[in-house]
Amino acid sequence: MSDTPNITVVAGPPGIGKTTWISQFLSAAGLGYLYPGAGAEAVDRLRIGYRFPQVSVIEEEAALALLSDLPESGRVYIELGFHIDLAMLPLNGLPCRRVAVVPPNLAESEWHSWADEVIIGNNIETPQAGRLPSLWRAPLTGQVFDPPSLDELLIELTGGAYGQVIRLKGIFELPDGQAFYVDFAEGIPGLEYTELKLPRWLEGRPSRLSSLEVVGYDLQQTMIKETLLLTCLSDEILAQYQRQYQEHYGLEGLSETKGAVA
Amino acid sequence: MKLAVMSCIHGNYEALNAVLSDIDAQKAEQIYCLGDLVGYGPDPNAVVEMIRSLAIPTCQGCWDEDIVEGLNACECSYPSQLAEQRGRIAHEWTNDVIHPEVREYLATLPMTLRKDNLCFVHGSPNSQHEYLLPSMDGFAVLERLLSADADVLFCGHTHVPYDRRLEDAALSVKVGAADNGEPLQQLQVPLKRIVNAGSVGEPRHGRPNATYVIYDTDTTQVTLREVPYDYHKTCEAIIEKGLPPIFAWRLARGVEFAERADDPSHVCER
Amino acid sequence: MKWAILSGIEGNLAAYEAVLKDLRRRQVTELYVLGDVVGLRGASENDNEAVIQRLRFPKTDELVPQVCVGWWEEQCFSLHGVSGMPEAPELMALAGGDGVKALWESVSRASVGWLRSQHFGFHELDCLLIHGSTAGYADELTPETPAIELCDRLIRADANHLFCGRSGRAFECWVTPSRLTSTVTTLDGPQAPKDQGKTPRRVVGVGSVGRIPGQATYTLYSPASNQLSFRTVNYSKAKGFAPV
Repeated sequence: MSDTPNITVVAGPPGIGKTTWISQFLSAAGLGYLYPGAGAEAVDRLRIGYRFPQVSVIEEEAALALLSDLPESGRVYIELGFHIDLAMLPLNGLPCRRVAVVPPNLAESEWHSWADEVIIGNNIETPQAGRLPSLWRAPLTGQVFDPPSLDELLIELTGGAYGQVIRLKGIFELPDGQAFYVDFAEGIPGLEYTELKLPRWLEGRPSRLSSLEVVGYDLQQTMIKETLLLTCLSDEILAQYQRQYQEHYGLEGLSETKGAVA
Repeated sequence: MKLAVMSCIHGNYEALNAVLSDIDAQKAEQIYCLGDLVGYGPDPNAVVEMIRSLAIPTCQGCWDEDIVEGLNACECSYPSQLAEQRGRIAHEWTNDVIHPEVREYLATLPMTLRKDNLCFVHGSPNSQHEYLLPSMDGFAVLERLLSADADVLFCGHTHVPYDRRLEDAALSVKVGAADNGEPLQQLQVPLKRIVNAGSVGEPRHGRPNATYVIYDTDTTQVTLREVPYDYHKTCEAIIEKGLPPIFAWRLARGVEFAERADDPSHVCER
Repeated sequence: MKWAILSGIEGNLAAYEAVLKDLRRRQVTELYVLGDVVGLRGASENDNEAVIQRLRFPKTDELVPQVCVGWWEEQCFSLHGVSGMPEAPELMALAGGDGVKALWESVSRASVGWLRSQHFGFHELDCLLIHGSTAGYADELTPETPAIELCDRLIRADANHLFCGRSGRAFECWVTPSRLTSTVTTLDGPQAPKDQGKTPRRVVGVGSVGRIPGQATYTLYSPASNQLSFRTVNYSKAKGFAPV
């Protein structure tokens, strides 16, 4: 449709599949992605940036100016985290298409009233209106994790050892130089691990961004932080691993450029 | 006569009490303990006092030895860096709270106990650190039984109980080509048995209940017993006394606190 | 591929030279030395160092030996304070105070350092090549070792062929664990019985190069064809003469 707005705003509860829905459109050219209300280390921003290097991840400060002056062929997807008030979008009446992604068993909600289009997403529980969960984010840039320790910590976290977790997203760096995206939503069994197709980082601590986001109730933040630290590799052990992997893979060296598109 | 064999109490006083009550109800006449009285759990002194007051014959476990010697567990038992850190914290905590007379008592415990054709060890006759998993090569297990000169070997250390029968074993040794000539040695063993007593205080079979075994010397019947108890009390004590709170969460789920028996073929060098 | 497997040079330089000369005619592709390179069998007190130099710096047309440590090396490590035991009680029991002194004086600290950096054993294809066994360097396996122990050592080796040198004897011993029924019962109930019989596997004593004066024994093995043979090389014990 030629008069479809260039801006698509996507909202829905945590774990419903907003980013997944948006991702199916991101292979084309001339695209932008914005995730308002989050810092540079929001996991979804990082994930989109790593997976779709040709997509422009828009900085929030620049958003309004850019959106007002969008080229004819440009398309922007704006993902709204559950904590963003739907009524308070700084779009100043710019034409946009409102898409709500909702669970199959939800007949009516704030999202239904707001949206132009309703997409059915994952079959999850939505948080009650009076009981909103809290969001906790830990920047992890520069940290490299002991893989079996990380596995154990994620099992504990998603199993409720540190509070009730309804959503978990993280990007973690491993000693073989690879980075992984991990995804958990309450109601969907198991943890989803996706290898990010980035160059192996085998020289010192990685400077590319990584972080962990947890959404839930009664989160024991200090305990999670302390345990995270116990799962990180020391300089010495990281150096040992990197020496071994350098020998194994041949020294590919440090690369600032992004790797092949997934 | 019925014997009760328990192991790996790990400072879990509530669980020990429940098991002792169950042993009474099962009318076992003699109790044996395969060590690891202390470590991970919140009441190591109370556990040892109970065992001593009942004069239960006990062999020395790997944790008991470590507390006596001031060592940490063998690294090969820890599946991850996180587990190793937690094990170290548990060691330091236990070391700090153990009474001197309890440490002295642990030092007196023998490596093995015997009764007629029965042998009792913590890990294996070779070492307190060797895991005799049910998936271990049957001939290797047979070697452990023959080296202990026992028909039934009771062991612990893995924290998951099992009863394993090894029957009709036949082994020959020939010098020269394999298909050539008479064997130099032939070994036939009709029946040997290895029984793992599980764990009273830190179960790893997926449920928080304590486990132990009963052996009837007349019928040779083995019964694996699973004993529920109020594990919440132990969880509260773990948190209250300053042990890593994650141990409480793991106890409730019947998973290891830190060490895990992963590799049936690994032989610990310690 | 053809392996030459030696053990027990025990400082007997003349014996080692004799074997190296014999190897030149054998089209060998790998040379393994399973410990006991030093000892008290040398013709002179300099021979231990000479053997070590010979191993470290083979001639240009010779194979580079792959060396693992053995009983005599462990005695050196004890004497030089680089292993668990501060004294060397096993060596004292075998050779007395004189033997301890002779070993201490005939192996330099630098050589001990080199020996310490050698392997504990080699896992190649389906074979483990080691001085004693994975149970320890002093584990002396022979055809008379109880069958169940031979079987256990092979299981620990995680290999079908175990080449060892502690006994100094050359032998080939086939161990066949032909039958064993194992039944396990857990909290979930009894599991189906399993038959755990296995195909024959082998323990090979590779002989000794230096233990018997005038007679060096070693082993040749071709992994592809599974051909195994023992070679005995006679040589003159006279110092300074080239081997016969």
